[in-house]
Amino acid sequence: MIQLCSNDDPPVSFTVPRKAVELSKTIKTMLEDLEGFDMEQTPIPLPNVDAPTLELIVKWVEQHQDDPPPVEKPRVEDDDSDDSDADDDQEPEVVIPEWDKKFLPTDDEQKNQLFKLLNAANYLEIKPLLDIGCKYVADKISGQTVEWVRDYLNMENDYTPEEEAKLKEEIAWAEGL
Amino acid sequence: MAALKAENARLQAENDRLRRVLTDVCGQIVCGQLTGKLPDKFLEQFNQLPDRPLEHVLRFLPAHQVVQMRHVSHKFDSLIKKCSKTMPKKERNGSIAFKSYNTGELSVELFDHCGRRITETTLTGNKVALSELLRFIRIVGLMYFGEGLSATNKVLDQLSKAWLTIRPEMVVFAGDFSRTSRDTLRAFLVKVEPSIRRLHFQYASNMAVSILSDDVIGAAGRLDSLIVMPVPWYSRRPAYNIGDDTLLAMADADHESSYFLVKGCSGITPGGIRAFVQMWMKKWMKRGKSKAGANSTGYRYRYEWDRCELTFYQCANVTPAAVEEACGDLLKKETTASVSSKEMNDQVLYFIECNSTNRRLEIRFNSESFRSHFVTEPRRGIALDRLIYGRLFDDRVESEMEDEDEEEDDGDGFDVDSNDDYDPMNYF
Repeated sequence: MIQLCSNDDPPVSFTVPRKAVELSKTIKTMLEDLEGFDMEQTPIPLPNVDAPTLELIVKWVEQHQDDPPPVEKPRVEDDDSDDSDADDDQEPEVVIPEWDKKFLPTDDEQKNQLFKLLNAANYLEIKPLLDIGCKYVADKISGQTVEWVRDYLNMENDYTPEEEAKLKEEIAWAEGL
Repeated sequence: MAALKAENARLQAENDRLRRVLTDVCGQIVCGQLTGKLPDKFLEQFNQLPDRPLEHVLRFLPAHQVVQMRHVSHKFDSLIKKCSKTMPKKERNGSIAFKSYNTGELSVELFDHCGRRITETTLTGNKVALSELLRFIRIVGLMYFGEGLSATNKVLDQLSKAWLTIRPEMVVFAGDFSRTSRDTLRAFLVKVEPSIRRLHFQYASNMAVSILSDDVIGAAGRLDSLIVMPVPWYSRRPAYNIGDDTLLAMADADHESSYFLVKGCSGITPGGIRAFVQMWMKKWMKRGKSKAGANSTGYRYRYEWDRCELTFYQCANVTPAAVEEACGDLLKKETTASVSSKEMNDQVLYFIECNSTNRRLEIRFNSESFRSHFVTEPRRGIALDRLIYGRLFDDRVESEMEDEDEEEDDGDGFDVDSNDDYDPMNYF
């Protein structure tokens, strides 16, 4: 078992099976680096993650610890396609599983919790969690107005009216895409 | 001994490293308490997504919305600009057409493969850069440089830079080349080399003799078809430095139909043509034998040959007599009365057929049949197939396209009678 500590004061610690915690690439690499030390006795501090978020993370990795490791997608390529950029280029196909749908903090008042979770998933390099979370956010944003998205993502409109007008003109062509 | 010492030093270094790592981890914890100050606004910043998850979110959005999202904030705008290079592109098996009616203006039209217009925009000096447009789309069908200065260095440079988004199978140059340099053209062809199969210079104007050569065409890699039929503003008898190398590079073409239609290519010799014919025979005759006895359902059109057409127009070294002398033992000769020419010259063509592979190789001279291979400029309502094959397989396509607006089609400029400007007799 491995202990993880949140960044709260005082920190809240969680005990997680090593197998589950290794879904985080960041922690897995660290544990591998420290092979030979008794990591069971040393709590690992996570300066970027608060207790409620860490609780979610722990819940998620425990649920998914027995998932088969993500398969390297077989390269289905036409003989004439390029080799270098094909990876980044394909539209990612992500389906949010049922359990995860219920798991993600999806209520509107919980959206900041969702963002914190995605932040943590990013920091801890838990790719499948990042994928489904981002897919959820994208589905949410899809088809919404710019104002709505701004509000949803807690972003401020920092354009001047002139800049805005110019930009509008610039992107008008994209309507039909 | 030295080896042991080295090993010892290595282990020592590894030991030190691990010690440091552990100190790093544990140094932040005193009696289970995290020490050290957190950065300002440490918690608030997580109410916003940082770049990487945001980038990830953008990947799941449809292209047109990603473009709209530039409007959200400066940060978003720069993020989109930053990551759009690697973003999934909206792939369109359609056509993109560039035209320039007025100097300094470039009109860009994008059609899907059914001929529906997806978008249209006019690019001027200070408005939208072409690279902006190419950020989110990928063109995989036809790229058509039409009227005016449509393929200037500036345009081709931008396309070359956006090479990830251009994967045309066919590139047609039908505009004015007076502001296109050989190097830029070559650089562009290098970039489209992975996808391009057909390259046309059809009625391209102001093509300086220096612009085309074996080297420039060779940059496009293995082609199935090539047309070099410029409008000779410069000279009545152009002499492009295109020779046997370009011709022989095409002997490997696998396409159902391929053509090599060139004008004024002085470097092509009867010897090169003979070598081409021999390569062709080796490829298809041999394959025919090995396939003998196999069923013939693989042929798509039993009533029609898969043609390989070579047409030489005003190529100094290629005359019927010279070809007959060089390859007379390999080819059959056919003479037909010329249909469209007012002079009653007989048209000579040489051919060879391979029944088992359904292939036919034809060599023609100063024939007007090349016009059937010219590609129509993309326009609304005409499907991509029709732009490319409309004339080639006319009778067959006609029935599939009954619902199409025939009026519109008649104006496509490819009816020999309807377009006096392009009467071939004036040009060749």
